[in-house]
Amino acid sequence: MVPVWILDIFAALMLLVAAVSAARLVAARRQRTGPATADVDVAHLLMSIAMAGTLTAALSTLPDTAWEVIFGLTTAWFAWRVWRDASVNGVRALAAGHCAPHLVHSSAMLYMFLAAAAPAGGSGMGGMGGAAGTTMPTLEHPTVAFAFALVLAGYAVWDLDQLSGRRYSLASAAVSLVPSGVPAMAAAESAAAFSGPPPEGDLARLEASTAGEAVPGAASGSGHTLPAVLLSPGTTVGCRIVMGVMMAFMLAIMI
Amino acid sequence: MSDIAVVGGRAARRGRIGARTQAAGSTIDARRALQLALASIWLIDGVLQYQPFMYSKAFAQMLAGTADGNPSVIARPITWDATLVGHHLALLNTLFATIQLLLGLGIAFRPTVRLALAASVAWSLGVWWFGEGLGGVLNGAASPLNGAPGAVILYALLAVLLWPSDRGTAAPFTAARAVGVHVARALWLVLWLSLAWFALTPANRAPQAMSGMISDMESGQPGWLAAIDRGAASLVAGQGLATSIVLAVALIVIAAGVYLPPPAAKAALVLAIVLALVIWVVAEGFGMILAGGATDPNSAPLLVLLALAYWPIRTVTAPNGTERKAS
Repeated sequence: MVPVWILDIFAALMLLVAAVSAARLVAARRQRTGPATADVDVAHLLMSIAMAGTLTAALSTLPDTAWEVIFGLTTAWFAWRVWRDASVNGVRALAAGHCAPHLVHSSAMLYMFLAAAAPAGGSGMGGMGGAAGTTMPTLEHPTVAFAFALVLAGYAVWDLDQLSGRRYSLASAAVSLVPSGVPAMAAAESAAAFSGPPPEGDLARLEASTAGEAVPGAASGSGHTLPAVLLSPGTTVGCRIVMGVMMAFMLAIMI
Repeated sequence: MSDIAVVGGRAARRGRIGARTQAAGSTIDARRALQLALASIWLIDGVLQYQPFMYSKAFAQMLAGTADGNPSVIARPITWDATLVGHHLALLNTLFATIQLLLGLGIAFRPTVRLALAASVAWSLGVWWFGEGLGGVLNGAASPLNGAPGAVILYALLAVLLWPSDRGTAAPFTAARAVGVHVARALWLVLWLSLAWFALTPANRAPQAMSGMISDMESGQPGWLAAIDRGAASLVAGQGLATSIVLAVALIVIAAGVYLPPPAAKAALVLAIVLALVIWVVAEGFGMILAGGATDPNSAPLLVLLALAYWPIRTVTAPNGTERKAS
């Protein structure tokens, strides 16, 4: 059995991700940078709360069925976004798009709840909530768990490489593209939400913004102030890396 | 995958938004891609080390078991280590798991890639001795089917071959960039010839040796994998010598492959990849990960990475007459 103190530490880490995601939602609303990454932040918030509850009984919030419905909806939402991304950018979006990792995260969460909810060998140990302090539930179809763990590890490693390669800046990427009527794109995260090529000037601004450079016309809040760092693509990707590693961990210990 | 990233041009500027955000990102070459694959495997190793099985006495017993049959100078430290782990199981296993997790993250994080690769070599050598009993190389238990010469030593080999430095001359394959062509080829030759040698040892050419090794993998595996194992075990039952010879011939061909011209080398590398994957599924049972007691995915994924590191790089002549490499 995995020591409870380890699960508690990881649960605390998940609460930190939840806090950051919640703060991002609040900060984005205050700065009026638009809802471009709200879906990602909401998904991170929900996933981290669910994982914290799975790791530590005291943090369990909703029943498993509720989580299954929630992650069914987030999976469907990101599947739709990936499909839309792929229809614009081709199959490349599946491998390198910004929504594909979130689709994998959502579907991994859905799988964890569905596979653990089934009765486990007559031991009466079905379900995810409140697993800590007892034996962790085992997952049905461990091949799927292993496949998810591999993909999650791959995405986490890729994200970390790109983060350290300065693809994602820690400065806010909020861009004001209002004059040309192009949909707001708060960060690289939101690129998949866009459905057509913007005018070249706007594209250059978006690209510079994504790289964390000073951009004429950028919304106030860019820079390294706390809200700017909070709203930066780097923070989103940082949360995604932590979530991915934690999900791979949970899948591994429940195989 | 190109070793030289070329980004730009008018067509690119008019590209779609997804492509643009990709171009704005950091490009990676073949070596970096392989480093990231290695990082992913370290990460998987790390999370597997947190499994409940590793926090049981069975883990310490598994470590102690690797001392069996080894010379006392090798076996005594293993026994001491296993006893220590048994006494401080939670603390030490958490430390082991965290180190492996950090190695994976460290290789993925560009500023720490050298530090993490160097640390991974030291860690791998330690685990090879204290955790794998030198992979059974000295006690006659090594077999290409059970992860010889020890999966963890392959991590060290990959870390050396994928070290982020260049010797200045154009390398015909990625593995040669850091250590040079001759050393890289010699390492490949030694590895695969040693596997061929292990395939022909008395313990592995006994009539039921291969069959027994494969059927041992059945326990705890999902039904579909257990069925594959049963089928494969019955296929080679009583055919130990013939199977060993066929396997050894294939391994020798692979060993010599990197000295052949690119088309033949590619064929040998494809054979290496296919053989590694077959061994991974049939004989290693995905490193027993699906059975819930694995510390790593075993040697086959690393052999695949190695083969990719030796894949010949295509030479492209640029308009100005200079040569560049693209795989």
